[in-house]
Amino acid sequence: MKKISVIISSIKQAIDIKDIVDAYLLPIKDLSINYSNTFSISEIKEVQKLGKEVYVFINKNIHNGEVDVLENTLKEIEKLNINGIIFYDIAIVELKKELNLKTDLVWHQEHLTTNYEAANYWYDKGVKYTYLSSELTKREIEEIKEKAKCQTFVNVFGYIPMFTSRRHLVTNYIETFDLNEKGNKIYKEGKYYNINDSKNGTTVYSDYILNIKEDIDADYLVFNSNMIEEEKIKEVLKDYKNNNLKKETGFLYQETIYKVK
Amino acid sequence: MKKPELLSPAGDLERLKIALLYGADAVYIGGHFNLRANTPNFTIEDIKNGVDYAHKLNKKVYVTVNIAMHNKEYEKIRPYLEELKKINVDAIIISDPAIIKIAKEIGLTIHLSTQGSTLNKKATKFWEEEGVSRIVLARECTKDDIKDIKESNNIELEVFIHGAMCASYSGRCVLSNFLTNRDSNRGGCSQICRWDFDLYDENKKIQGEKPFTFCTKDLSLAKYIPDLVNLNVDSLKIEGRMRSVYYIATVVKTYRKMIDEYCNDEKNYEYNKEYEKVLDEVANRDSIPQFFDGNFGKEVQYYNGRTETTNQDFIGLVLSYDKNNKLAKVEQRNHFKIGDYVEIFGPKTSTKFKIEEIYDEDMNKIDVVRHPKQIVYLKVQEEVDENYMIKCIDKH
Repeated sequence: MKKISVIISSIKQAIDIKDIVDAYLLPIKDLSINYSNTFSISEIKEVQKLGKEVYVFINKNIHNGEVDVLENTLKEIEKLNINGIIFYDIAIVELKKELNLKTDLVWHQEHLTTNYEAANYWYDKGVKYTYLSSELTKREIEEIKEKAKCQTFVNVFGYIPMFTSRRHLVTNYIETFDLNEKGNKIYKEGKYYNINDSKNGTTVYSDYILNIKEDIDADYLVFNSNMIEEEKIKEVLKDYKNNNLKKETGFLYQETIYKVK
Repeated sequence: MKKPELLSPAGDLERLKIALLYGADAVYIGGHFNLRANTPNFTIEDIKNGVDYAHKLNKKVYVTVNIAMHNKEYEKIRPYLEELKKINVDAIIISDPAIIKIAKEIGLTIHLSTQGSTLNKKATKFWEEEGVSRIVLARECTKDDIKDIKESNNIELEVFIHGAMCASYSGRCVLSNFLTNRDSNRGGCSQICRWDFDLYDENKKIQGEKPFTFCTKDLSLAKYIPDLVNLNVDSLKIEGRMRSVYYIATVVKTYRKMIDEYCNDEKNYEYNKEYEKVLDEVANRDSIPQFFDGNFGKEVQYYNGRTETTNQDFIGLVLSYDKNNKLAKVEQRNHFKIGDYVEIFGPKTSTKFKIEEIYDEDMNKIDVVRHPKQIVYLKVQEEVDENYMIKCIDKH
């Protein structure tokens, strides 16, 4: 049975969709990136009380000066007894080993989680889940499910982060040309892309909301509410296969190329 | 004091030889499964020739196998790695952990690519314990980060010192996939970060003097060579497998001189501004230290409406030299003519002169060399050698 998991934007939203979801995914304050809303340890505890599975994103690149903060955060999370930490930086695997942490891990190097053998590599290192790249085809996702030992998470709904920088690209532009506006969208060739400068850097998102309405072979189907109205998400979750929004399958049937000559 | 390795890119066998000749201790190259899928790249035979050539000079060749593999690439990787082992490459540079198990079974030395975005001592420790020999650190590392990572681990560290930068954390950009359907993490990057975009605040267009872009200036740590040596960094890496022989020769030779001058006489070393000028002359964009000095504010951006400098100073490559007639056989790379004032330089020496005699292949006197790759003979009084470069200083 596939589990409905939601990257939530508020505790209010978590309560509101409680009867529909199996798992909440929460970006943690200070150590996550790509999400507008993040959660403190006490807020994570609040969401835990709803009695569903809880996974926490620690998905930013961890700079050397942040190792102590990371270590302390991992110790705090360990006390919560959540279902898993969705990680990008390999420091988290090392610290799990060093601190003998019991909390499970979800390998989520975003665009690099692209084959079953890499998923198996991490599984053998004690990583129980892989959160697959959004740039895979349906066949690739099925093959990973078939050949990987881990359980899988797959994005099926929401904006997809497609660029993450340490630099503050919008702020740098505004400051360079002494402008007063903020800047939250970029435009190219008929398409608008959301762009967000935060303390941890800049993220650019897909121009469309991914909206896969068909069966996907994964253990966790991920609905990402970032930058989407809570009512809209709730409507989708009620019956995602028949939701009224435009179907958008991303790379599911569109294999990327890399050699053009 | 340990002298760090100077590591150069090489896009083909010609550039591999030039890089090693001009002072690199090692080169990194791409065959299959690397992040420059749209360059000619090396065949197994080319790699073998390159490795043999390098090993005769007691130098090294590392092969990039650094794509994020999809299932189908994984299923083809083992035979390729076995070939690389057979021809005795010094290491492979990987980012996909699926390769680690195979590489260990085969006995290949593993370097972890900058695609892994290793920024901290704990991730470094993990890879060290996994049997990785060297980490190519993320370009977002500061000097203090590098110091602490080095002091906390026993693994070799490789640091980028020169060349173009990704605007994103390496591996965290798929703009190319979304905007051009080319997979950036499998070698298809179409450099969307260099494109111009319109920036909006909700529905209002924001217009600076130049268009909005993600584009950053290039990296140069020329000023920080003493710091890098003192940090015990093992390898200093130049970016640019797609750059020309002239670029490779110039940049490698310049860093070779800086490293040697500092390591040979630390007390009397002074940063030579002339070297910076030489590096600037072959650059497409302005260069700065980027994250190394902890500064990544607005000055890192490169707003120039997509115009980049193209270098036309490189006018020819010496193929051979006839001592008796003092004639250099030259392959043309850019237009030149009688009266142009030029510099001809090799790995150790250089000489400047005005071009007074040019002959075509039939030894007819000519005044101008217009055609790309045209073979001509130049009168050069001082002895030069194969693979010397000719640079135009002043057009007549």
